[in-house]
Parts: sequence; structure tokens; C-alpha cells
Amino acid sequence: MAPKRKLVKLEAESDEAFQELLQPEYKGKKLTDEINTAEDKWNLLPAFLKVKGLVKQHLDSFNYFVDVDLKKIINANELVLSDVDPEFYLKYLDIRVGHKSSSGPEVREVIMPPHECRLRDLTYSAPIYVDVEYTRGRKIIMHKDLEIGRMPIMLRSNKCILDGIDEKKMARYDECPLDPGGYFVVNGTEKVILVQEQLSKNRIIVEADEKKNIVQASVTSSTHERKSKTYVITKNDKIYLKHNSISEDIPIVIVLKAAGITSDLEILQLVCGADPQYQDLFVVNFEEAAKLEIFTQQQALNYVGRRVKTIRRAGAPKLSQLQEGIEAIATTIIAHITVSDLQFREKALYIATMARRVVMTMHNPKMVDDRDYVGNKRLELAGQLMSLLFEDLFKKFNSDFKANIDKILKKPSRTSEFDALLSINIHSNNITQGLNRAISTGNWSLKRFKMERAGVTHVLSRLSYISALGMMTRISSQFEKSRKVSGPRALQPSQFGMLCTSDTPEGEACGLVKNLALMTHITTDDEEAPIKKLCYVLGCENILGIDSATLHSDGNFGIYLNGTLIGTNRFPSKFVSDFRRLRRTGKISEFVSIYTNTHQTAVHIATDGGRICRPLILVQNNRPKVNAEHLRKLLNGEWAFDDFLAHGLVEYLDVNEENDSLIALYEADMEDTDSAFTHLEIEPFTVLGAVAGLIPYPHHNQSPRNTYQCAMGKQAIGAIAYNQFRRIDTLLYFMVYPQQPMVKTKTIELIDYDKLPAGQNATVAVMSYSGYDIEDALVLNKASVDRGFGRCQVVRKNTIQLKRYPNHTKDVVSGMRVDEDGQPIFEHQALGPDGLGEIGARVVNSQVYVNKSVPTNAGESVLGHNEQTPSIESHRETPAYYKGPEPSYVDQVMMSVSDNDQALIKVLLRQTRRPELGDKFSSRHGQKGVCGIIVQQEDLPFNDDGISPDIIMNPHGFPSRMTVGKMIELISGKAGVLNGSLEYGTCFGGSKLEDMSKILVDKGFSYSGKDMLYSGITGECLQAYIFFGPIYYQKLKHMVLDKMHARARGPRAVLTRQPTEGRSRDGGLRLGEMERDCVIAYGASQLLLERLMISSDAFEVDICNKCGLMGYHSWCTTCKSSENIIRMTIPYAAKLLFQELLSMNIAPRLKLGDIF
Amino acid sequence: MASQQREGFSVPASISHAALGQVTTKSLGVKYNCAQCASSFSLGKNDAIRCKDCGHRVIYKARTRRMVQFEAR
Repeated sequence: MAPKRKLVKLEAESDEAFQELLQPEYKGKKLTDEINTAEDKWNLLPAFLKVKGLVKQHLDSFNYFVDVDLKKIINANELVLSDVDPEFYLKYLDIRVGHKSSSGPEVREVIMPPHECRLRDLTYSAPIYVDVEYTRGRKIIMHKDLEIGRMPIMLRSNKCILDGIDEKKMARYDECPLDPGGYFVVNGTEKVILVQEQLSKNRIIVEADEKKNIVQASVTSSTHERKSKTYVITKNDKIYLKHNSISEDIPIVIVLKAAGITSDLEILQLVCGADPQYQDLFVVNFEEAAKLEIFTQQQALNYVGRRVKTIRRAGAPKLSQLQEGIEAIATTIIAHITVSDLQFREKALYIATMARRVVMTMHNPKMVDDRDYVGNKRLELAGQLMSLLFEDLFKKFNSDFKANIDKILKKPSRTSEFDALLSINIHSNNITQGLNRAISTGNWSLKRFKMERAGVTHVLSRLSYISALGMMTRISSQFEKSRKVSGPRALQPSQFGMLCTSDTPEGEACGLVKNLALMTHITTDDEEAPIKKLCYVLGCENILGIDSATLHSDGNFGIYLNGTLIGTNRFPSKFVSDFRRLRRTGKISEFVSIYTNTHQTAVHIATDGGRICRPLILVQNNRPKVNAEHLRKLLNGEWAFDDFLAHGLVEYLDVNEENDSLIALYEADMEDTDSAFTHLEIEPFTVLGAVAGLIPYPHHNQSPRNTYQCAMGKQAIGAIAYNQFRRIDTLLYFMVYPQQPMVKTKTIELIDYDKLPAGQNATVAVMSYSGYDIEDALVLNKASVDRGFGRCQVVRKNTIQLKRYPNHTKDVVSGMRVDEDGQPIFEHQALGPDGLGEIGARVVNSQVYVNKSVPTNAGESVLGHNEQTPSIESHRETPAYYKGPEPSYVDQVMMSVSDNDQALIKVLLRQTRRPELGDKFSSRHGQKGVCGIIVQQEDLPFNDDGISPDIIMNPHGFPSRMTVGKMIELISGKAGVLNGSLEYGTCFGGSKLEDMSKILVDKGFSYSGKDMLYSGITGECLQAYIFFGPIYYQKLKHMVLDKMHARARGPRAVLTRQPTEGRSRDGGLRLGEMERDCVIAYGASQLLLERLMISSDAFEVDICNKCGLMGYHSWCTTCKSSENIIRMTIPYAAKLLFQELLSMNIAPRLKLGDIF
Repeated sequence: MASQQREGFSVPASISHAALGQVTTKSLGVKYNCAQCASSFSLGKNDAIRCKDCGHRVIYKARTRRMVQFEAR
């Protein structure tokens, strides 16, 4: 084996992950082994992940933004003109990120590596260069490589320095090769722009309210300029058009007439076709137009123009009613269809289509669209959001620039010739700052779209490798969490294979936050024009060229490109199959989807971005097109995944096109059936996502358990990345001895969880022991704990900035203070002579780890020091104290300079923690439990070989949870241990229980996984056989040490004088409302008085028994006497309330009486 | 911790370093390592935070020479 390996290594290719594929033995398969298509087709999956990767959607989207979208934005806003000087112009010619015009895009400019940005709290960004052409005096000047700002760069995108480098170089950049990338580093924090889920734009959605008898078709038009929504609705069985900028609903017939279809017959033909039932439903609408005496296009346009809400910019000329009407029809209604030369026909047809959909739904209420159907949704990715933001900032940049040059050009005489470039540089900070601020706060506020979105970005969770990975595949929905509708939260059948069926949080965001499945791809925008041309070539009749009467004739299918009717075809199945053939041969993009909708007699073609799709194997005559030969080429490394696409063996289907296909789950399903299958799944376990893929045998578990595990897998402590000890994060947890699981899944190998695991294989005995194991508590073996089971490290970052002040004073770090013997005082024991904690020193509670001092005169002005020159600089100590019940050790002290030239000190404090009572553990089956007792190994049961368990788990955990997968994991794990192999628990597959039992029997164990154990206390053998074997356990981040809290006396809040709240403020423990109810019910009034007043905010007040108000010093200020003053104790909060009431002119008067 | 700050003796706000009993030597003898070239050097009070060899701006403090005792549990 060894020499072969060496050979492979000699061929060293850049990509190490793919090396494995090239090795003679790949995942237990030798080159000479027989290749079985049914078994080995799963090898397409690693090949897919090799080209696509788990976060490919983020990278693709960002690359598209930087390479394509930026240029489009520049072209759309290319000219800057001056109002003052008509001669002046500035034109943007080109834009580039990260490289100058002198070098090609493959030569990247050297930018600061991402890890340095993380350490120094900087932004990982590259310069944005533009080429401009402008006038200076009479001359036209070209200027190349003008920097207009800096663009934050997504890690691993094609502008990132980590793109396409090997593991060695990665190590040199202090970067982990397994880190997925796809996030930004902004001001030192890693930020992810979550995938946003939305209803698709520019598509007609028909909804019906059967109770109110309303049908509405709506379309959200979205262009670069504006976003608006147009409705076609029914009101009293009549159809109207509704739009925000039109004050009143307009009868549909009038709208169509305004759009140039003046003949009633033609309207009827366009909306209803020849169907008499539709005609009957629609005919009332003509009456309304006739009643209003609107017959011609001009009358209709006037009618519309009268109702337009005009928002005119100052200075714009006032338009006549007719002009308003034309403007409204041409630009505001259904804004995404552009009208040129007053050719309204396309728009009229679009409105007619909407009306037709409404009529169809009135006739048959089942013709509505499903908002929750995944095919009606689009996913918005980082690139799209960045492009919206950039366009906004770029427009602002241009208008600022324009205002600036106008100001200069207005001056009658200038000393020198005006050079526009001098004033362009002033604003370059705006773009940089705008991008940085939006990403770091997550607030996307775009005035243009009236978009005000908060929480778009999140800090990348680095709790474990899985939590970071899980975050990259997360999809957040725009629906409100508070709304009580189940629809958007429910599992949609169309999610199959696209979105993970298990991975969603519990509680309020349940079903709204989703995760991508393993093999999904999200499309980016594709050019529409060539596809349109192609359609005409393939036999689609242009919509502008056909007669209205034939449009809806029988057997005539409308062809819709991105929701817009472009033509018709009489032979839809031929058209569709021709189209697909072209796609499979690679003539058009593989992500263009086409499908027929027989209900709407329509063929829909989609080229827009944000659709979810996944690859499937093509099937011909019920045989998969991928055969052994192809797979051999894949294993040999001759072919990559893209070759399968290029050869038409595999294709991408989006959700809508899936509806047009018959997909076989297994090859065997295609045998002996009459149904003609079109596709074959690559692997069924890809219905799950990356996080759910960690669960062994998930198909044997009750489904909520898998969901629980998905939430818990992200809290498990483990290895974070290869560069974990180089990282200085606010809080990081490491497991000291992580192990890869005995029972793996294919997903685990694909996402490299086996290289960065988060857990250990514990030998578990399922039995009762002591009584400290009730309610899911676990019994831990003390010897195992001593040997490092569940041991973890917690490192916490503390940042200290040494500020500089305007009056030339600055913060300093002063040395340590010593006592009479020259020894450092207790507080300064951990410090070195430089006033920073010594590396490796132990810091206990209330000791100092950075002895910072701030100048006492920092606030003084820069100028006002004429009276007394600042004496010797005096400083006040503001040290950073360590606070915590357990000591920490100084792990690292990093010093650097942040971007505003202030010194930055980061101190990393480390704790090593062994498991203790109350620490939380979980297996991979949603079975969490806390440590209930740690028992001496001597007292634990042991088997014939003398093996005693690491964990004892109570068997009551099984019956109600029904996590059979956990039991099978134990048996497979045990067989693996005995056999010296790692077993698989892949979903819908994995090692078979029968085989595992066989191994157990062969090795002299019971087939059931049960062992005979001896009591550790008495030495007798136990009365029952015990289910005994290894289960992978995760230590979760919830540890007692971070939560334990008690207080006798302590700080109080200033306002109410009640004890503070929360552990971090050393707060009190609240006797709440319900606890109060119990005490009242019991009648323990003195206890109540003590808890609620005496131990809380008791306050002595002087109350005047005459006026009932409060006085002080035995003197009533209201009555001007001390006669009736009575001193008593009330809660301070009550006194505060009385005073607040007084302040708003309400006099609460107390009437006092004797108690007894 | 906070309580100790409140109850115990707190240093008067403005007395000079000498009165505080602070050690103020010019070179403190603490070694720092560069994050890029790993060279070891010491820094004075008013030196810029910068590697003396390669000019890299991230430096780490070197491990203490004091004896550190860990509780092996």
C-alpha cells in the first residue's frame, strides 16, 4: 500500500481534497473492483461537492455580483452631468475589484490576508477601481484605475487571496483548509449574510378568499429603478386593477382599453378565449366601461390619468391628464415590462393574462397558486443584497460628486482649470463606510426600494465546525414570526431534496428558518434575450405577431419567459423536449428551467436567479444514462462532475421542473413498471442537510429527535478549525481529545466532520445506577473523566484599546505595583513588568491582567493649556480585572494597531475544564442529559473483559423517545470496535443490523449487543443482561461553571433600590408573581413581607396622616406641621410610584389605620 | 471583583508613578515575538507596535520565564 501512496503524492495536484478521489483506494474501493452503478453512483456526490461545495451558492452569488452585476450597475449609472456647465461630463467606462487595468483579472492585487484582519479588527477588503472619461476644460481625459472605495471580500470567492490555493499556502496564511468561506470579515468579526427567502418577483400569484368571494392576481414588479405591486382583483364579481399609485380601483376593461385594446371582442378573446363559461363570468365587466361611456383609448387614458396620485418632483413640468394616464400605464403599472414607443401591446397582454388567471380562478377556485410552494419562492443571496446596497451607495456617491462639482463650477472665476478628479476622491470613503456599516450592523436601508431590513447579517458562530457550516446553509424567511399561520411553517412536499427536512429550530422560528439540503444549488441570473431568440427558433410564434382569437384556442400553449408571455406554440411537448435537448448538450445554461403547466396551458421558462435546484441522473428507457464506464472515469479522475453535465448524463432540475418529471429513488424502482421514469436520484440521503447528516441511522428515529439533534449538534464542543489556536475570538470552546465517531455517515466524510469532530466515543451501559440518573441524568466514570473524557478548554478574549486623545495625551499601560518587599501586590501578581499579563500566568478573581491607565485631563481642550502647562502627565488607573469563580491562565497576549492607529491589545484567557456535576452531554439522537454523579471506577459494573462503562444511561430514555437509531448506533459501534472497522449509519442505508449482529456473534458477543455485567459494588453478576457498547457523545456548551450563581447581599439598581437582575450583575433571585401566589395561598404573610419588602427595597417614610402625602424629617410640607407625621416602612418602588403620580398631577393619599 | 474594589483601599486618582510604587524602567526586558517572522525582540515604553525586523504589525508577548505550576486534574 505504502509505495502506491507515494506515487500518487508525486503527482501532487493543487487540490488535496480531490487527491483522495485519485488514490488507488477511494473510500474502500479499489480501481480494479467491479463498479456497480446502483451502488457507486453516490460517487457523483463528492464530485458535486468538489465543484460546488457546501457554500458554493454564496460564492457564486458574490462572484456574479463582483464580475457581472457591478458592470451592469456602472452601465446603468454611467454619466455624471453638471447642471451648471453643459459641456461637462464624466463617464464610467469600467469597474474592477481587486486588480488594476494593467493586469488581467487572474492577477490579484496583494491585500491583507483575512486572518490578519480578524486579529487586527480590520475589514477584509479589496479596492474598487473605475476607469473614467471626463472633460477638463475643452479636453477629454481618460483616467484609469481610480479608486472609489473598498469592497469587503467574501472569503474563498474569486477575489479572495484564498481562492484556489493549496493546503500549504493556506497554512501560511493561518487559514484552515476546511473552512468553508462564504462570509465577510468586517472590523475583525466574521459576518454572514444569511440566505433570504422571498416570494418570487415578476411572477403572477393568484390567491382566493372563498369566504369573502375575492380572487386576486398580484405581481411584484422589481426593476433596478423601483419596486411596485400590481393587483387584479374581483369586487362583486367584477374585475378591477389595483395599484398603490392609483387612488381608486380601475375596471379591467378600461385598463385594457387604455393599453390599446379598444375592441370589446378582442378583450374577450384575450381574457376568455372561446370558452363560454369564462365569457359569462367576464361579460359584466363590459357593462361598467359602457356605463362610464369609455369606448376609446383616449377616454380610457384620461380616466386612468384622473386617478393617478401624482408625486411630482419640484420643477418638473405639469402633465395633462392624458399624459398622466400614458405615464401610468407605461411605467408604473407592471413596471418590469418596459414600454418603448408607446407599444402597449405586451403590457396589455400581460394584464389580460392576469385577468384570465382571475377568471379561471373564479370559475374553479382550485386554480390558485400556493405561496408556500418552493417553486414560487426565490432565495436572495449575499451578492444580490450587496448589489442593491452598492447601487444605492454608488448613486449617492454620484449625486454627492455632482453637487460638489456644481458648487465649484458655479464660481465665476477659477484660478486653475477645473479637474473633476480632485473632488471625486473626497467621497470615496462613503462607499467603503456604507458597505462596512451595512454588513457589520445588518441594517439594509435603501430609500430607493423603501427597504428597511434589519438583521440581514449575523456573526458567524464558531462554537464548532458544524455550527459554522450550519450557519452557511441557513435560510431565513421574511415572514413575521408572530403571525399565527401554519402554512409557511409547515413542511412542503416540494422541499424534498432542496431543503433539509429535519434541520429547523424549535420554538418561534420553527419552520421559518430552514437549511439547504446537501446537493442544492441556487441559480444566478441568466441572460433572457438569447433564450427568447431561441424560443422563436424552436417554433414559438411571437406574441406580437399572432391574432388575438387564436391565442387561447384549444391546444395552443402560451410560452412564458420569466413569467411574461412571449409567444405560443401548438406542440408544447416537442418544444419542451427540443429545449431540454439543447440544454443537455450545453448550448444554453444548465440552470435554465422549462416545464409545462397543463392547467394554465402554458410552458414556463425561467432564467432568473434565486431558484433552488439540484442535480439528478437522466434516465432513458428506464435505464440510467450514467453507467459503469462513466463512473470508472470519475474514479480515475478523468472526469469531473461538470463532464457529466456536459455529456447530458446529469442535469439540474428546479422545483417547477421536478413537477414535470418522474424521479426514481432507486434503480430497482424502474424495473418492471409501465411508467416511464425521466430521472434517478443520485443519493437519497441528500434530502438531509449538512447538520442532519451527522445523525447515524436517522431513518430509524422519531422525526422530532432528529430535529432536536440538529439544534444540539451546533452546540457541541469540538475542534473548530485547523487554525483554532491561532484564532482570538470572544469566546471559543475546544475539546481536548476529540474523536471521530465510530459510526460515521457518508455526509460526515463529505463535510469533513471526521477531521474536525465534536465528541467522543463513550462506552455506554444502558442501565439504572444509583438514583442520580433519573430524568435523563448520566452517570460518569471518574477514571474516564480523569483520562480526559469530556474535557474542554474555554478561551475568552479581552480587548483593550489604548486611545489617543485630541490634546496629545494617550492611554498607557503602566507597570505593576510592588509592596515593601519588592514583590508585586496581589492584584498585580499575574502582570509582567510591562503591565500586561504574563503568558502562562494564573489569574484569579479580582486580579489585573492589563494595567491600563487613562490620562486625567483627556477631556481638556487642545488650545486651553496656556495657564499652566500640563504638569507631569497624570494618569488614572483603569485596569482590566479578571472576574470569575475559577482561575484562568493567560494564553496569548497580542498587540497590534487597528486602522485608526490606536494600539490594540487582545488578551486571551484560558480555562481547562473537566466534566462536573451538571454539565450537559448529548448523543447524536436528540438525547440530552446532564451529569448526575461521577462514580469511582471501582464501583461501576464491568464485563468479562474488565471493561467498565464511561457513561451509564438510564433505560427510561428509550421507550417514549423511540430513538431506535441510537440502539443501532450502539450495536454498529460495538461491532466496529470488535472488528477494527468504522461502520456507517448513513440515512436510508449504512451498515445493516444483521451484518453487525453477525460480527458480534463471531467475536463471541451476544447478537443483541447485551453483555453480562458484574456489579462493581458486590462483585455479583447483574440480574439482567445490559445493553453495552460505544455511542458517540457530544459535550454541549452549557456548563455549570458558567451558570452557577448565588447571592446573599449585593448590588442594587439605582432607580428602584431593588436587587439587580441577572448573574452578570451579581443579581438576586426573584420571587416571582406565581411564587407570590403560592405564598399568599399558603397564608404566609410575614414571609411575603420579608421577601417582597424587607429583603428587597424597604424604605422608611414619614407620612402625614392628615393629608396622606409624604413628608420628611418628621415634617409635612403640605400641612406645614409635624403633628400627624407617622413613620412607616414601605417598598422604595411604592414611594417612587407615589412621587411619579404626583408629578403628573395625581395625588395618591395614604389613609393609615391600626392593624389590630 | 467589584465588591473588593468598593470596599478595599483604592488608589488616589492622581499621584505620580513613583509614589505609587510603580516600577518604571526604560527597557522592561519583556520579549515579544513577531507573528510573521517569529523574531524575538523587546520594546520600550514609547516604541511603536511593530516588528523590528520585518515591520509586521501583529506581535505576541513571549511566554513568561516565571515558574508556572498547573494543577493536573
